Amino acid sequence: MAGTFKNIRIKVFQSLPLIILFYISFKGSAVVDFNLFSINISYILVYYWVLRKPDILGYGYIFLAGIIIDVVFGFPLGVNALSLLIVASVAAYIRVVTVRITLLNDWISFIPALLIANFIFFISLYFTDFPIDYLYLFKNSAFTFIFYPFLWIFFSLISKLIEL
Amino acid sequence: MEYGTSRDDVGIAIRSAFLRKSSKQKFSLFALIFLSIFFLFLEAIDWKIVNQIRSLTKDTIYRGSLMVSYPTKGFSEIISLGNEHINLYEKYNQLKEDNKKLKSDISRNKFLELENSQLRKLIDEKSTSSINDKFARVMLDIQSPYLNSFIINVGGNQSIKNGMAVLHGKNFIGRIVDVNYFSSRVLLVSDLNSKIAVLVEPSGSHAILSGHGEQLPTLEYLSKSLDIKEGDKIYTSGKEGIFSPGIPIGEVKIENKIVKTSLFSDLKQVSFVKIRVEDKTK
Repeated sequence: MAGTFKNIRIKVFQSLPLIILFYISFKGSAVVDFNLFSINISYILVYYWVLRKPDILGYGYIFLAGIIIDVVFGFPLGVNALSLLIVASVAAYIRVVTVRITLLNDWISFIPALLIANFIFFISLYFTDFPIDYLYLFKNSAFTFIFYPFLWIFFSLISKLIEL
Repeated sequence: MEYGTSRDDVGIAIRSAFLRKSSKQKFSLFALIFLSIFFLFLEAIDWKIVNQIRSLTKDTIYRGSLMVSYPTKGFSEIISLGNEHINLYEKYNQLKEDNKKLKSDISRNKFLELENSQLRKLIDEKSTSSINDKFARVMLDIQSPYLNSFIINVGGNQSIKNGMAVLHGKNFIGRIVDVNYFSSRVLLVSDLNSKIAVLVEPSGSHAILSGHGEQLPTLEYLSKSLDIKEGDKIYTSGKEGIFSPGIPIGEVKIENKIVKTSLFSDLKQVSFVKIRVEDKTK
């Protein structure tokens, strides 16, 4: 009985990153906009979980979440799916080449992921003639980077609950 | 030799990250990246079957998004209901004053209506278009940082087409930019991509109302010789040949010498809209 309960609990915590990803995608909260700045939560979420526990967040789900974000935000289909997959790619590469798990390592390696993903995002929008505010995009990248440790702590808590 | 080894390591790491599927991954990253690029190329293709699939996908995701937003919507409704009860007395006094003001305005409006109809008869105005408004509910109000838009619950099924004017009450708030079978996207005047030809009254100056992703769109290409004052009214000019002329939009608000527009409708409070379907053949 206790074993069954533990299994259910583990399953629930294992599904949590996926539930959060789809919730924010459907709700249009993948990019949280405050008055002065905005944060791309989906980038942080995908990066953290692909880096730490890739089995929890399948690439197919990431692609699907990207398509949902595209539809909800009104982007051409494939733009966010592509940039989220780029974030996942960098995370997968970092996972293969690193051994130690520290916040600082993760945070620093998040920079190339963010830069490449936003560059791809920019290029995709440029070729699909979709004008956006580039200063906004730059501010978004900067604050997503700054906000990374806060979500890292939150996701680490979930990660520990899965392992318990 | 060492250089060669390190290059091999990088190659192995890239292959491992991109091409190999772990036990629980059903797709490799490379395949999905390729699929995303393929989707982007499909955006440029205007085939009927592709458009239908795209429309169906969007309709399905909008419904899903609507369902996901129900719990938070319900929660915020409960909070606003509580706030309304707290401010009941204050609101009652405010409404009493508004009522008094409205009563005095009614008599003035009746006089203006009469005057208007007499003037119309005088110039023997002939209607060139028959207006048939369609009503719609705002399904999703996602004020995305990249796109200020609404999703409404009518689409191709109600003969909605791209470019149609969207009104809140009598006020212009945006236009249709994306039509699916059961839903459409309304691009609001505040969006970065919105450019509307307008007329500023009483000076009669033509201008372009340009959104910037902020609350107050600005007036551009204004003639410097004409005197624009705060409080001047802004209407659609109909010069672009898409919208009918004379739909009210807002009034001039000058901030740091920049001519902005305070919209008549609060875009955050819109629940129902009218879509102006004009039959210009009549």
